Amino acid sequence: MSNTAIIEIENLTKTFKHAEEPAVNGISFSINRNEIFGLLGPNGAGKTTTISILCGLFAPSSGKIVIDSKNLYEELPLIKKIIGIVPQDIALYPTLSARENLAFYGSMYGLHGKNLKNRIEFWLEKLGLKDTGKRQVSTYSGGMKRRVNLIAGILHQPKILFLDEPTVGVDVQSRNVIIEHLKEINAAGTTIIYTSHHMEEAENFCTRVSIIDHGKLLTVGTPTELINNNTGAANLEALFLNLTNRKLRD
Amino acid sequence: MLNKLLATVKKEALLLLRDKVGLAVLFVMPVALILVMTLIQDSAFKSINEKGIPIVFVNDDNDSLGYNIKQGLMQNDLCYLVDSIDGKPATAELAKKAVSEGNFLLGIVIPKGATTAIRKNVSALVDETMNGSDSLQQQQDSVEITILIDPVAKKSFLNAVTSNLREFISEVKTKIMFQSFSEQIADVIPDRQNAPTNSYKKSQIIHYKEIFASTASDKIIPNAVQHNVPAWTIFAMFFIAIPLSNSILKEKTEGSVFRLHTMPTPYLLLINGKIIVYVIVCLLQFLLMLAVGKFLLPQLGLPALVLGNSMAGILLLTLATGFAATGFGVAVGTLATTDHQAAIMGSLSILLLSALGGIWVPSYVMPQVMRTISSYSPLNWSLEGFYKLFLRGGTVNDILPDVLKLMAFFFVMMAIAHLANRKKRNV
Ligand SMILES: Nc1ncnc2c1ncn2[C@@H]1O[C@H](COP(=O)(O)OP(=O)(O)OP(=O)(O)O)[C@@H](O)[C@H]1O
Ligand SMILES: [Mg+2]
Repeated sequence: MSNTAIIEIENLTKTFKHAEEPAVNGISFSINRNEIFGLLGPNGAGKTTTISILCGLFAPSSGKIVIDSKNLYEELPLIKKIIGIVPQDIALYPTLSARENLAFYGSMYGLHGKNLKNRIEFWLEKLGLKDTGKRQVSTYSGGMKRRVNLIAGILHQPKILFLDEPTVGVDVQSRNVIIEHLKEINAAGTTIIYTSHHMEEAENFCTRVSIIDHGKLLTVGTPTELINNNTGAANLEALFLNLTNRKLRD
Repeated sequence: MLNKLLATVKKEALLLLRDKVGLAVLFVMPVALILVMTLIQDSAFKSINEKGIPIVFVNDDNDSLGYNIKQGLMQNDLCYLVDSIDGKPATAELAKKAVSEGNFLLGIVIPKGATTAIRKNVSALVDETMNGSDSLQQQQDSVEITILIDPVAKKSFLNAVTSNLREFISEVKTKIMFQSFSEQIADVIPDRQNAPTNSYKKSQIIHYKEIFASTASDKIIPNAVQHNVPAWTIFAMFFIAIPLSNSILKEKTEGSVFRLHTMPTPYLLLINGKIIVYVIVCLLQFLLMLAVGKFLLPQLGLPALVLGNSMAGILLLTLATGFAATGFGVAVGTLATTDHQAAIMGSLSILLLSALGGIWVPSYVMPQVMRTISSYSPLNWSLEGFYKLFLRGGTVNDILPDVLKLMAFFFVMMAIAHLANRKKRNV
């Protein structure tokens, strides 16, 4: 494995209780420092499951995970401090305002006082929420919620950022703003692991992508590399369909 | 760590403040319950309480026995003696009818010639002892004092009262027997200094006091206010289990759980934040209910709440009740999988525990079996504690066992929640 790897996954398998098939089935790959790594795959492929394990939400059935040179299960508390998460489902308190939500989550990552306040204002301003930041989140549009959901994961400037479909259900304007700022964060030194169903976005955004299906890793490489190696695929979407075929998923 | 805890407390407080329905459940519901239940039950409790247990007294004897029993009962705060019915002097027949109709809980009939009969018995006894005659066997006049009991009155309560009453009546009987006994002995024995009259009187005075003292301290019966205010406050405190479990479940269903479990903050700290907020809510509920009991109820013509004299005890017991209630809420919120489930599970179990715990109907009027079951309900521990403080002048020491039981309940609930949580996260 490369010594620039920040995440190393070896033979990761997860079979949920009472499930017949493993949701993640013997996956191995590594993610380099400062990469934007795409985790692509159809519905139910095992993307969220993989990210959940990497964040320490639950334990895998088997496999080894090293994050920032630390074994995940031996040093989970330390690892939790350096990662940020933007979950697939909006994880905010609907009856709290954006500011109140961010103040709470920021505090949970050890931020407080002026520093916390400044960072909240900085990001609300950047993502166009300064004026609406005192409204309850339940009154927000889908795109606004996504933006707040994003800020909650990046306030503490994590070393590694997991983004589970951060742009799902948002308009082109919001999507562009989000992607732009994620690129900035990456440029400032944060490694990004990102899942999406939006192939064009992934092709432009990611430095490397992996395609998984039925819990198995199908391929991994830079978008250009993968497209060139697969005859007849003009872009990532064509490649994706070739590899995962066109059958509908659960 | 402290910053994190404060942030959690702040978040939880904001969530609760914005939950208008939850707040109404916590503060408006118990006030309504106290008002309604107290007004309904006031008349029922009144029959027992206000002036004492209503007793119709029929004195056909009109001699020492009848007189002494009447005096004794009239001096007792627990009894309220009446000797006429509808303006007519009470007779055995009228009394029986009145008691059976529920106008009085108890009736006492001292038959005609009861004192004379006792005296006669004593004379016969003296006669027999001194002269060796066997007149005693021939004329054993029994003295039948009748105690009439309202057939629908709660038996457990009446048992205590009637057994005290029987004891008291036989005391009076014995006293009269000894008096006439010593009078007759004194006639026979010329040396008056050795007559037992005085020594008996002395011991008798002390003995009387004991009977009344024990009656008063053991069998204080709360009025509707003294029962309902603590009872429904405890009920409301336990009802925080609903919004609390909801708060835990919403975090799961609203997706926050992904963040909550992957943050560098122990989940227990988040739970502790909730516990702090909800225990404070319990204290506020308690203060509100005290205010209702002290100021609002008297406005409605009900007696004011009497707090006893141990403020420290009240605070301690309220805190312990608050902890028991929050622990219960945490357990429900962790065991349930949806907020719907939690609401049903929580409210049903609280209804059950409160019914068993003597919130709806005081446990002292329950049959013995139910009373035994009742003593396993945490709501009952709390209520018993408040009875001790409010009614029996209890101190911190007296309620310590109740406080410890409530805290033990809290820790057991937390342990259950911890285990359930671990099991649930093991997907
Ligand atoms: N908690 C769970 N218990 C049981 N099975 C689960 C659980 N979570 C996910 N699964 C199953 O594991 C498989 C992978 O799910 P996962 O959520 O990882 O897919 P995904 O790639 O994120 O899909 P999507 O693109 O739809 O979000 C699916 O078959 C799903 O039904
Ligand atoms: Mg997913």
